[in-house]
Amino acid sequence: MMVSILKQKTYRDATNQVLFVGAIALTVLTFTMVGRENLEAQGITSGFGFLERSTGWSISFSLIEYSTSDPYWKALWVGFLNTAFLGAVSLCLATVLGLIVGIMRVSGNAMAELVGASFVEIFRNVPLLLQVFFWYALLTALPPPRSGIDVFGVVFLSGRGTYLPGLNVTGEMVFLAVVALLAALAGVLWLKSSRRFARTSAKDKKRFTRSLLVGWVFLTIVLFWIGRIPDTPLLNLPYLKGLNFRDGIRVPPELLACIVGISIYGAAYIGEIIRAGFNAIGKGQTEAGLALGLSTWQIFTRIRLPLAIRAVLPTLTNQYVWLFKSTTIGIAVGFADFFMIVSISINQSGQTLELIAILMGGFLLVNYSLAWVLNRVNDAIKLKGNQLRM
Amino acid sequence: MSDLSHAVRISRMEKFYGAFHALKDINLEVGKGERVVICGPSGSGKSTLIRCINKLENHQSGSINVLGTELDDNLDNIDEIRRETGMVFQHFNLFPHMTILENCTLAPRLVRKQSQPDAEEIAMEYLTKVKIPDQAEKFPGQLSGGQQQRVAIARALCMKPEIMLFDEPTSALDPEMISEVLDVMIALANEGMTMICVTHEMGFARQVADRVVFMADGQVIEEAPPSEFFDRPRHDRTRAFLNQILGH
Amino acid sequence: METVYREPTFVQSIRARYFSNLWDGAFTLAFASLVLWVVWNLFDWGVLNAVFSAENRDLCAHGSGGACWAVIDARWRLILFGLYPFEEQWRSAIACAVMVLVAGFSCVPFFWSARRLAGLWLSGFAVFYVLMRGGVFGLTPVFEQRWGGLSLTIFIFASVSLLGMPLAIAFALLRRSDLPWISRTMGVVIDTIRSLPLLTILFTFAIVVPFVLPDFLIGDKLYRVIVGYAIFFACYQAEIIRGGMQSLPAGQEEAAKALGMGCWYRIGYIVLPQAFRNALPPTINQFVITFKETTLVAIIGFFEILASGNAAYGTSEWNFAHVEVYAFVGMIFFVFVFALSRYGAYLERRLAVASR
Repeated sequence: MMVSILKQKTYRDATNQVLFVGAIALTVLTFTMVGRENLEAQGITSGFGFLERSTGWSISFSLIEYSTSDPYWKALWVGFLNTAFLGAVSLCLATVLGLIVGIMRVSGNAMAELVGASFVEIFRNVPLLLQVFFWYALLTALPPPRSGIDVFGVVFLSGRGTYLPGLNVTGEMVFLAVVALLAALAGVLWLKSSRRFARTSAKDKKRFTRSLLVGWVFLTIVLFWIGRIPDTPLLNLPYLKGLNFRDGIRVPPELLACIVGISIYGAAYIGEIIRAGFNAIGKGQTEAGLALGLSTWQIFTRIRLPLAIRAVLPTLTNQYVWLFKSTTIGIAVGFADFFMIVSISINQSGQTLELIAILMGGFLLVNYSLAWVLNRVNDAIKLKGNQLRM
Repeated sequence: MSDLSHAVRISRMEKFYGAFHALKDINLEVGKGERVVICGPSGSGKSTLIRCINKLENHQSGSINVLGTELDDNLDNIDEIRRETGMVFQHFNLFPHMTILENCTLAPRLVRKQSQPDAEEIAMEYLTKVKIPDQAEKFPGQLSGGQQQRVAIARALCMKPEIMLFDEPTSALDPEMISEVLDVMIALANEGMTMICVTHEMGFARQVADRVVFMADGQVIEEAPPSEFFDRPRHDRTRAFLNQILGH
Repeated sequence: METVYREPTFVQSIRARYFSNLWDGAFTLAFASLVLWVVWNLFDWGVLNAVFSAENRDLCAHGSGGACWAVIDARWRLILFGLYPFEEQWRSAIACAVMVLVAGFSCVPFFWSARRLAGLWLSGFAVFYVLMRGGVFGLTPVFEQRWGGLSLTIFIFASVSLLGMPLAIAFALLRRSDLPWISRTMGVVIDTIRSLPLLTILFTFAIVVPFVLPDFLIGDKLYRVIVGYAIFFACYQAEIIRGGMQSLPAGQEEAAKALGMGCWYRIGYIVLPQAFRNALPPTINQFVITFKETTLVAIIGFFEILASGNAAYGTSEWNFAHVEVYAFVGMIFFVFVFALSRYGAYLERRLAVASR
């Protein structure tokens, strides 16, 4: 009887599944139980109550107001924003630079191909952490502010940071403008992908897209006007005063080293992806463009580039998630990113399990939403219908 | 230009791929309003020949003259000839990221500098002519092969070309879709368009061609009016080819 | 008149590749001058004005305008071997050479079967470990805490690969299981770990795991980190293997079933060999990334080659020479990674030809 049950496929399958899922659940459960016990033995109460306690330590770089009396949740939020900021800036720069490198590699000009290939090989074959260390060492070895390097009177480089021109506008208004931009882009995306607009003609969609973007520009101007700081010029150039620069935006070397490192490393990878995208386009579309009398430039901007972007977007999505995760190396040069704030918090509060959970939750949230948004973009622009394979 | 007697005149043209001699001493003249069908076994160079006429392929020596313009290294001449010739490809080569209408209006707007409403009006006219005006807002991937090829013909016609080049337009189609494309081509022929077609559709050749050119191994073996070509072929190779293609 | 084919002359081909029109020519000149400028400056800095000997430290400390390779001359043993005892460093060097040889041998087609490859790597790894650890054959024992530099990097990389690959196969098979609860649970685990940064995983295994494990399972910090890294590696590699399996035509497995092959035979003889063949280019890419990212263990306090590099210029004696040290360590990585990625590109072309 026993044997016959074991030989029955249904029973065996069910048992296997229960065993597998059970084993995983049991492992997680044991870890949590043992962890709690160990922590309680050290006098640390589990739970998220500690988030309301004030931290008592300062953070070197923050996009929002933060003081040592602020609670843990605010410190974590500062770290999260820093990571999001670093990731957003680096990903954008990496994309632009990668696009240039990728285009150079398919340009047909042998010299441009050589430069593009050298760029990719040099920066892709050396670990990112080493590159960030290198840029950081280079940036901190710059002369002190008093004899800093002046680039056209707009940007100043010095060992204590890089100074960029800024706008005399309150932070809230800049934040609102960014939110408005994201909302406008989401609107465009929705318009392109939602089935609700399947019957709307392409011309109407284009008109609506344009008005959304024009509306955003207008709104931004209004917001900046409201939020400008009185009695100051709108543009804020850094200038040397005493031993340091005044005004402008100071980018600390830790942040700049991370941005430069991640952008260049990412660009080397993205450049290769873009090149593969161009190579994946059939020759036929180019020939059809030539036969219609389009110029090489028109064929490139209207046909090859849009097709290449569509071809690489799924690969790029993975690359973006991967690059975003690499922002954690900020801790190596002392940039106050999410991971660094979490590890300081662990040291200071001892709430190890909760903080690790928050850390993982934060990255899962960002990466899943990044992937979700890019997949929606992909749905919106991917080629419709069945494609001929040649 | 209008008093020219020929649309295309090719003389003593040679073409190499590396060391491979693809086209040997081609001499061919196509008159205005003439319909010429080029046929031959695969690898005979017929596609290469037609692609040389709008310089998708470079020839190495000899001359090609299209509507009085000499095809040489001069970029202006190449642009001029590509404007005046339309081409239809075996694999359609529609732009998959643009709607049917955008496919048809892109080149008129960019090359002929037409305004968008004008270009769309002309495009709808030709889409009506190839019997798919109702598909204008769709994307190429959503259409059948036969429909796509008809769009490709309309797209070429929107440039108001003097000459139409067809490079095996029905070879990639399922059998039941071939006739809808051939019907459009026959209608076009009846309007007096100058056409050079590379095709294996011998029925089409018999019906509309003024002349059939038979090629093999990169050479023109025989050229004759269809009645003569099909009923009294002069060369053995032509006979062998016709037996193979019509024999069973 | 007979026309004959002429090879394009040298001048013609240069013209076509570099100066096909006005813009092309302008770009060529601009990029060429950029390349020349960079190459000349590097040469000027790295060779012409450089100081090579450690005895001339003072010369470069006061700014010769060139590279100070003296720091490498003085500190190369620290960078390559870390704190490994001085008189035993030959063991570390031989151990590294053995692993490099193993990696080289695995590129030879003779070893391209699961059994030979596994045997090669396991025996190479055993030799490596015995040499490094000592305690047998009259070798003085050197404990893992003193390992450092290149050999620690290679040790971590090799053990992560050896541990991660079988794990990856297991994960991929579970992920592809017909039983919905198994494949779904595995999918959640893989996706979750893949969307976490490697650094947080290493950190968790180094610092947090001791809290949640029963005492007898804790082990050395180094081995915990390796296990964590191997799990991370396995989650990425499992998806690559799964991709390779998915590109197999369904007919293959059906044919094997029709021949009466059992589940394990089908997987071992039909599915996995072909899946690995399909997935070879991304697998090599994964190894490349894994090798580069071993540097992250420096952040959680291990003395691998990047950390030993930091230490090499970290003293006040050499604190001006960071660029040279990073250039040296970067070159070491470049040689390994460039060779591996070129080999991957070569395999990709070869496979593309074979499948045509």
